[in-house]
Amino acid sequence: MDLFANLALGFGVALTPMNVLLAVAGVIMGTLIGALPGVGPASGVALLLPLTFGMSPTSGIILLSALYAGSMYGGTITSVLINTPGESASVVTCIDGYQMALQGRAGPALGVAAFGSFVAGTAGVVLLMTMSPLLAKWALSFGPPETFALMLLGLTTVTGLTGGDALKGYISMVLGLMLAMVGFDIVSGDARYAFGINEMTDGVDFLPVAIGLFGFGEVLAGAEGAAKMEILHAKYGLRDVMLTATDWARSRWPIVRGTFLGFFIGVLPGAGPTIASFLSYTLEKKVSRHPEEFGHGAIEGVAGPESANNAASAGALVPMLTLGIPGSATTAVMLGGLMMWGLRPGPLLFEKNPDFVWGLIASLYLANVLLLILNIGFIPAFVRALRMPYTILMALIIVFCVTGAYAQSNKLWDVGQMLVFGVLGYLMRKLGYSPAALVLALVLGPLAERALRQSLIISDSGLMIFFMRPISAVLVIAALAAVAVPLVRAVTDALRRRAVVPG
Amino acid sequence: MRRADQVSGALLLVFGIGFAVGARRYPYWTPHGPGSGFLPLWLGLTMVVLAAALLVGATRRTGPGGAWLPDGRAFTRLIVVVVATALFIWLMPWLGMAPGTFLFLVALLRFLEGHGWGTTLGVAVATTTVNWLVFMYWLSVPFPIGVLGF
Repeated sequence: MDLFANLALGFGVALTPMNVLLAVAGVIMGTLIGALPGVGPASGVALLLPLTFGMSPTSGIILLSALYAGSMYGGTITSVLINTPGESASVVTCIDGYQMALQGRAGPALGVAAFGSFVAGTAGVVLLMTMSPLLAKWALSFGPPETFALMLLGLTTVTGLTGGDALKGYISMVLGLMLAMVGFDIVSGDARYAFGINEMTDGVDFLPVAIGLFGFGEVLAGAEGAAKMEILHAKYGLRDVMLTATDWARSRWPIVRGTFLGFFIGVLPGAGPTIASFLSYTLEKKVSRHPEEFGHGAIEGVAGPESANNAASAGALVPMLTLGIPGSATTAVMLGGLMMWGLRPGPLLFEKNPDFVWGLIASLYLANVLLLILNIGFIPAFVRALRMPYTILMALIIVFCVTGAYAQSNKLWDVGQMLVFGVLGYLMRKLGYSPAALVLALVLGPLAERALRQSLIISDSGLMIFFMRPISAVLVIAALAAVAVPLVRAVTDALRRRAVVPG
Repeated sequence: MRRADQVSGALLLVFGIGFAVGARRYPYWTPHGPGSGFLPLWLGLTMVVLAAALLVGATRRTGPGGAWLPDGRAFTRLIVVVVATALFIWLMPWLGMAPGTFLFLVALLRFLEGHGWGTTLGVAVATTTVNWLVFMYWLSVPFPIGVLGF
């Protein structure tokens, strides 16, 4: 069968000594990045991107995807032992994970998270591997109107779901699209909004923006919250993380449910691991025969969400690889990386770069095995790393931001850009705007503009072309609904409040 | 947050107007379809609408606005970190990458955060070395060489 031939090709690529080494480095760094509060997976990917320029794209994506998988595992450690999420997809694990730790069951909490993550991560790759080629084949028939409609849907759903203020999410998105307009226009050759500055004619570079918004901006925002963290004294050696028969019986189904729920949530544009973990927690509480235990150390409350976020991180790769539409901040940064390596994400990727795609898939299997070993046997080592003071971590990350921003183009201009966007990223976080929506729009902007212009050229009825072709009509209507629903909800909420408090 | 929303809303409104006005310098429509000014104009106008909505919403909201910028020591620290990074970047062509990294780390760790000399020098030396090995030696990035000659 085709699938196995492809998979064999993939393992041939992934199992070269250099790539195995990169996968090991990726999962270790990913686990650390996931565990350390104040650096999330998107920052990790942005910070490591400059390192990948010396590698082939395949080695680069192996490093980055191993890091992405690792960060989903690592976030758990902090949630359980410190009651502070290491990254947003582990927020919900704090609830029951920390309670379990307080009851002296930190070991089983970490153990079930590791096993659940392994099952979900591996099943997620199986689903990714079987679904993506089908989706890619279907997407091959897309013309410019469908492509534009798809990007519109990706932009609106990500923006609507990034949490917080929907209006500010859309403002962030439009801001990102505006930045994407700067520089040479491919069609006309106009240097738009360059103000006669040479560096501006090349446009706003993706990498300094991503490093600034995520790396530098995040670290500045984290500096204030760097309260003294207290690491719970607990046992998490190899023997302590093993589960009892009762634990297994209770977490078996939550893991299975979390896997499927997580994967399909991850595939949806705009809904990534974080949303998947929250939904899984809600689901487990609903179907549980003893919902009163949730919040007081129910192992299902760890098993479900931790499985869901891993499956979702695999699912989020599906739209990125097959359609070129990232489903989360992290995959948006990865997509930017793919473009910098000279690859064109989308349906053709599977035909033109099979070694890249299947190498990535094989390395994800490898990464999950490595992570299971790391997270069963080496938790104490990661806990020791957590004791590093935030002040040192912050200084190191800033040095890395500066170096990384310089390394791509060897221009100080880019380092300056990084600094400016770092401060902007800090302000955006503080004021409730969405750096993720901005980066996504910056990545998709030029592609969306080209698809829009091509659509309008072939159309003889203006914008109606998007409604006259069935696939694009469905996508555009879904995108409009994604914009309308939060607005309608805001209006009805306001009306209801007025009804309760007259005047 | 109310005051902050008003300020950022007003700034974005001005930015949106400027962007839309700027878009008029590029052709909106050409014989071959939409020109290079087409999408920028609509983006500018969309920003104007969204920013106006934010501004109006924030102004009509009542109740005290919470603080959004850190105060006192945390704010000073934030400014110091940003300024130190800016100096690090600005001085890099003159100082060189490696000495710049070293001095930046010493300044931040010893003088801002108050770590001991042992920790400070350990971290600074290790980071500078690893950074140099990875980027300059392995990836052969041509970092600025400073007055010190390395």
